[in-house]
Amino acid sequence: MLDVLVFIALGVALGIFTGFLPGVHVNNLTPMLLALAVGSAFAPMALAAAIVAMAITNTFISYIPATFLGAPEPGTELSVLPAHRLMMQGKGYEVIKLTAIGCFGGLLLSAALVWPMMLFVGPAYAVIKPQMHLLLAAIVVVMIALERSKSGVLWAAVIFLLSGLLGLFSLDTNLIKGDAALMPLLGGLFGVSTLLLSLKNTGKMPEQRIDDGPVEMKRNLKPLFAGTAAGALTGIIPGIGPSQGTVLAQLATRSRGIHEFIVSVSGVNTAKALFSFIALYAIGRARSGAAVAVEELIEVGFRELVFLIGVALFVGGIAVILHIKLGRFAARNIGRLPYRATCVAVIAGIACLTFYYSGLIGLLILTTATAIGILPAVVNVKRTHAMGVIMLPCILYFAGLKGGVLSALGL
Amino acid sequence: MEKITKLGLLCSIVGLAAIYAGAVQVRPSITPIAKIDNEFVGLKVIISGQVVDLRESNGHLFLALQDNSGSAMSVPIFSSVRAQLGDSIEMLDEVQVTGEVTLYQGALEVVPEDAGDISIVHSPCLGVSSIDNGLIGEPIKVRGIVDKREIVGKGNIILTLDEDGAQLAVFVPSSVAGSSNFPEVHVGYVVQASGWLQLYENELELRVTGASNIKVIEAA
Repeated sequence: MLDVLVFIALGVALGIFTGFLPGVHVNNLTPMLLALAVGSAFAPMALAAAIVAMAITNTFISYIPATFLGAPEPGTELSVLPAHRLMMQGKGYEVIKLTAIGCFGGLLLSAALVWPMMLFVGPAYAVIKPQMHLLLAAIVVVMIALERSKSGVLWAAVIFLLSGLLGLFSLDTNLIKGDAALMPLLGGLFGVSTLLLSLKNTGKMPEQRIDDGPVEMKRNLKPLFAGTAAGALTGIIPGIGPSQGTVLAQLATRSRGIHEFIVSVSGVNTAKALFSFIALYAIGRARSGAAVAVEELIEVGFRELVFLIGVALFVGGIAVILHIKLGRFAARNIGRLPYRATCVAVIAGIACLTFYYSGLIGLLILTTATAIGILPAVVNVKRTHAMGVIMLPCILYFAGLKGGVLSALGL
Repeated sequence: MEKITKLGLLCSIVGLAAIYAGAVQVRPSITPIAKIDNEFVGLKVIISGQVVDLRESNGHLFLALQDNSGSAMSVPIFSSVRAQLGDSIEMLDEVQVTGEVTLYQGALEVVPEDAGDISIVHSPCLGVSSIDNGLIGEPIKVRGIVDKREIVGKGNIILTLDEDGAQLAVFVPSSVAGSSNFPEVHVGYVVQASGWLQLYENELELRVTGASNIKVIEAA
């Protein structure tokens, strides 16, 4: 038992580390934990607990750099902009509280709804799957049509297409191995572009208001439920990432407000993290890097599933406190940082990590993604259209056309 | 703002063109299976070879492809991809697969993403009379009339195929015979069987590894 607690503590510490550093993902550290498992005397269950702890903690903490530095990780890319916008109004701590509610609420709800969800998600998926490409395409069309003005619709379509082609060329070819292209893609489209534009602002980081008053729960319930359902869906179904899940949740709840949006996105992320472990038991498939690692360590039966959910809830309780404390600390001290220098430092950091992981070709992808990511802001359309980077390859995949399109393009 | 819009658009298009040009340079090429090692994980390759093993489970199809380099590679064709596939895949067919090299439970696999990644050339079928000891240890595909159907041990089936007096025993282990998609086979049916030729108690015998390796061509 003691070794489990020690490993959970280790997982939490690593989760804080990966959460804080934009570009360092849970998946970069799991091989290390797996290496530790090989030929060691540590119980595989304890190591699996460490991985769950890391994944859950990372989900909470990654909202701190997303909010204060505008630097995304896979999963937080859509919330970067609204969160960063509130931070610029001095409401960074409010974002931390909202993401705490979203993350922790999503975790509790998904743990409570494991059985109904498992009964529902499987059959629902079987019904939806043959039409998945149509569903995703319909979401894209609605998103673009919502721009209303003629030039807005045109720009939205151009941005969707440009980012979609960029995703197809970088994720589905041999330019960069596997999913390593995700970092420069998302970092450019949603991170560096935001930071570059905010370089125009001079002076210091805005002073943050620290309001410790209670948060109204009632209006957050609907986005929380929607986020959890979307997270369960993305945790179990292949090919749908948190961002598509969020778009679904958004459409389902028609939540327009920035606060509700942040709550629902953060709910999606913890629900997805938990459900990717549940999927190991329910459908015997690993749907996240962390779940792959757990699968390599232990055979997930009912007993193990209950253990993993227990660990996730225990860690969630710790992580939500850490998240609020660390977020409060960040809010207190962010005002002291020189704004432009911080932005430049974060951009340089993302560029360095990109170069380290994927070399010059990664930098080319980062630059192109940044150029595309700047467009929505200057032509005044929503940045969500840049999710084409994942949506277009996904639509082609579900339509069974990806191989054909790639070979038609000579790739 | 005008200027930034133009600059952004220009940079996006130039960057995309450069990435496209780069991707064309490294497009997947036909790779000898023996050359594929852990360094290839995450890359897309094209492999081309003969189906030397074929198993089914939960609607998924698991192939082993062997090429001239002598090595074999496992190729999982998941049910969603299999459903899109117009043609069936049989033992000994020549199959070309484009897919990403992945590591699954310590072993390398090439995973095709959709039906467009797979092309199949069916191999011809041998007659029972042309099977001889020279083929022992080789995968073969043979066609004949069922002359005898016996059940041995715990549900294993032995079919005796006949062609103009030449006979060959086909051993179907209970795990295969008991699976839901194993076809009804009776005496007098013309069937096609594929598997490995082996020597059992000094008699030639074809061992079948999957339900789809027995196909009824003509029911009596």
